[in-house]
Amino acid sequence: MTLKSTSRKKAIHVMLCYTGGCNGCDIEVVNALLSPRYDLEQYGVMLTWNPREADVLIVSGVVSWQMLEPLKKIYSLIPEPKAVVAVGACACNGNVYKNLVGDIKVNEDVYAPVESVIPVDVKVPGCAPRPEEIIQGAVKGLPKLMGAP
Amino acid sequence: MTEANNEKMIEKELSFGPVHPALIEPYRIRLFVNDEIVEDCEININMAYRGMEKLFDGLPVEKALLIAERVCGICSHVHAWNAVRVIECGLGIEVPPRADYIRVLVQEFQRITSHLIFFGHAFEVVGHETLAMRALLLREQFMDLMQYVGGNRVMPSVPIIGGIRPRADLTDSLKKTILERCDAFEAKYAQYVQRILDDPLVISRVNGIGLLTKEDAIKYHATGPTGRASGWRYDLRTEMKEYKPFDFNVIVLDGCDTKDRVVDRALEVLESLKIIHQVVKNLPDGPVVNRNWVAKEMPFTTAYLETYRGEVMHTYGLDHQGLVRNYQIRTPTITNLAAMEHACVGDHVTEAILTIASCDPCLTCCTRTEVVDSGKRRTMTDYEIVRKYGWRK
Repeated sequence: MTLKSTSRKKAIHVMLCYTGGCNGCDIEVVNALLSPRYDLEQYGVMLTWNPREADVLIVSGVVSWQMLEPLKKIYSLIPEPKAVVAVGACACNGNVYKNLVGDIKVNEDVYAPVESVIPVDVKVPGCAPRPEEIIQGAVKGLPKLMGAP
Repeated sequence: MTEANNEKMIEKELSFGPVHPALIEPYRIRLFVNDEIVEDCEININMAYRGMEKLFDGLPVEKALLIAERVCGICSHVHAWNAVRVIECGLGIEVPPRADYIRVLVQEFQRITSHLIFFGHAFEVVGHETLAMRALLLREQFMDLMQYVGGNRVMPSVPIIGGIRPRADLTDSLKKTILERCDAFEAKYAQYVQRILDDPLVISRVNGIGLLTKEDAIKYHATGPTGRASGWRYDLRTEMKEYKPFDFNVIVLDGCDTKDRVVDRALEVLESLKIIHQVVKNLPDGPVVNRNWVAKEMPFTTAYLETYRGEVMHTYGLDHQGLVRNYQIRTPTITNLAAMEHACVGDHVTEAILTIASCDPCLTCCTRTEVVDSGKRRTMTDYEIVRKYGWRK
């Protein structure tokens, strides 16, 4: 274990990138990380908005075409090793926006799942997932940060 | 504004977004500043466009309701309820009174959570973390209650056509829990509001900032608490038949500034608690769902509902097979944001984001329209039309 990974274990910075779902997962993530009931900050997990200091990227929602380039750019700015957590059914498989379409057959306005845009390590299904499940998902991403292949 | 006065020089442009700490949702703000005073403001809300309305076309109506609920994650119940009300008005489906009561109950639960997430967001922007965290802690009580009633914290899926899902029916033990939680919440909430109003720092940040006069509020059709804080008495709940049995006040303040927009929501939470108490005490007996209906051809029908942010409109028709055609939604944030764009002009640049946040913007609701630019013809979005002409042309 290197010095970098030892120090990282004590302070994991999470960046939230909301790419165009329905806002529900987004607030649940902020709830899980910040709100006094679930409070991940007590374990040294911080919410940051700067991709250069982030370790984990949480993506919630289908990717709309306006957010496609910003998402790729944010992903490229995060230093290695990094983990990506896809939170919610939209990020995992497209949910209603991709799968429940009427006459148009294919919804070309959204890119889903997030895996088709950037590599994803952990998926947290649910519409919307509970904060407990989001915390579980964030923990599952830890081995990747510690340098596991 | 810039086109009208070409001689005016605007020195600098400050742009935020789409991903920025002060904005939880993706949208882009361009502030044109002159000597730290905002001269003009432009908001681009099209970051979360998902092509919602086109998805509805050609779906059976029950399936369409699933998408309608996922228009927004904060006001999910409103969209589900209003989509159901359209077909109930159009086909004349009777709704049992017990179902109406429980729909109102979940609506008021979500109104409280929505207003508390607004406090969380607004005080985060002000920079007062403690008040924001306390708002999120208070909110958890009602997220729990939504989970007990509907089974999910965010998407309770309570309304179905003709009533509510039988799962969401209130039992006696649940009624008792609701009353206990509400009483506990009310005591804590009173302390919380008193703490906001006593804080000289918070009040100095919001008092007299972001003026929106009553004329402007009516011109831009700033509905909901945003309009009511400007002295415009406009609340659809007073006219809806679902709200007839309940006794509540419409909070109208005439301060026209950010402080009143915060205080208006703070007082509305207490009115919601009043309605919740009345629902639980006077809940009638009987069935919760009327399954005696058939989807058939329906002309275009429109339903309006007072959401937590203002007035929402859903409209659609059914074709001869009972499939949904031409779904349209208009949400309050479209008009509220246009009003806020106007309100933040003339203030110091540090107040602009707070002013915009004070209308409780919900960008995912309102982002369903887009500029169609096909060579010769260019169709304007709802938002651009409101911004250019005001709501009533």
